[in-house]
Amino acid sequence: MSVIVRIPTPLRKLTQNKPEVEVSGKNIELLIDNLETNYPGIKERIYDEANNIRRFVNIYLNDEDIRFLEGKSTAVNDGDEVSIIPAIAGGILNSSQLGK
Amino acid sequence: MLKLSTEMLKQISDHAKSDFPDECCGIILNDGEQDFLRQCTNIQNQLHLEDPSVYPRDARTAYQIDPKELLGICKESEAKSRPIKAFYHSHPNHHAYFSEKDKADATMWDEPLYPDASYIVIPVYGGNSEEQILGNIRVYTWDLNIGDYLESEIESSDG
Repeated sequence: MSVIVRIPTPLRKLTQNKPEVEVSGKNIELLIDNLETNYPGIKERIYDEANNIRRFVNIYLNDEDIRFLEGKSTAVNDGDEVSIIPAIAGGILNSSQLGK
Repeated sequence: MLKLSTEMLKQISDHAKSDFPDECCGIILNDGEQDFLRQCTNIQNQLHLEDPSVYPRDARTAYQIDPKELLGICKESEAKSRPIKAFYHSHPNHHAYFSEKDKADATMWDEPLYPDASYIVIPVYGGNSEEQILGNIRVYTWDLNIGDYLESEIESSDG
C-alpha cells in the first residue's frame, strides 16, 4: 500500500525539500509512523503531546478532511493522495487578552 | 516592500467591506508577472459554533481560511508556479497591526509557515447602517535576521 503525501513548505526541510513523498501504510496513523522512519522529526510536528493531530494541522485524504472520516484510523488505498496542510489563521486580540 | 496594483488594493478592500463585521481573508498568488487574487472563506464562525471552548472567538475577531480552499490554492500555486505572495485579512473596527495571535498563527514549530509571503491587514470601520470606512492598510513580512514579523511598506501602482 503506497500513497503520495504532500508535504507543506515549512516541513520540507525534513524531506530534503521534496514537496511530495511516497509512503506506505494501511491507514493515516501507520502512514505517519512510516513518514517518521523516513524523515525523522516530522511526527512531533504533526502530533501534539497526547498523540493527537494538532489543532492547526489539517490532513486531507484526497479531498476529504480526515476529521470528518475516521481520523488517524482512516484507511488509505493505493493511488490515494494525502495532504498535510497547516492552517492559515489569526485574529485581532493579543494573547494577553485571551485569558490564556 | 510589497508591490500591489491599485486595482488589487481596491479588490481586497472591497472584500473587507463586504464581509464586515466579520474578518475577511484571502491569498494573492504571483507567477512572476501577474498577481492572482483568491478570496477565501473564513470558517471561524463555524469553528466557534462547533466548539466554543476551543474556539472562543467568532469571525468578528478571528479568521481561519477554509482548509479545503487552502489545499486547492496550494495545489494551484505549485502546479502553475504561482508562489504565495501574500495573505490578507481584515480587522473590523480595529486598526491594522500584527497581533500576537497573528504572529503565533503565522509561525508553527517555531518557524514562519510561509517566510516568503507577506501578511496584509486591512482595518475597516463601520456601524450597522453606514457604509464602512477603510483605515490604513499595513503589511508585515518575516525578517530573517531578527526572526520576527516586521512592518513593511506597500508600493501601489496602476500597473
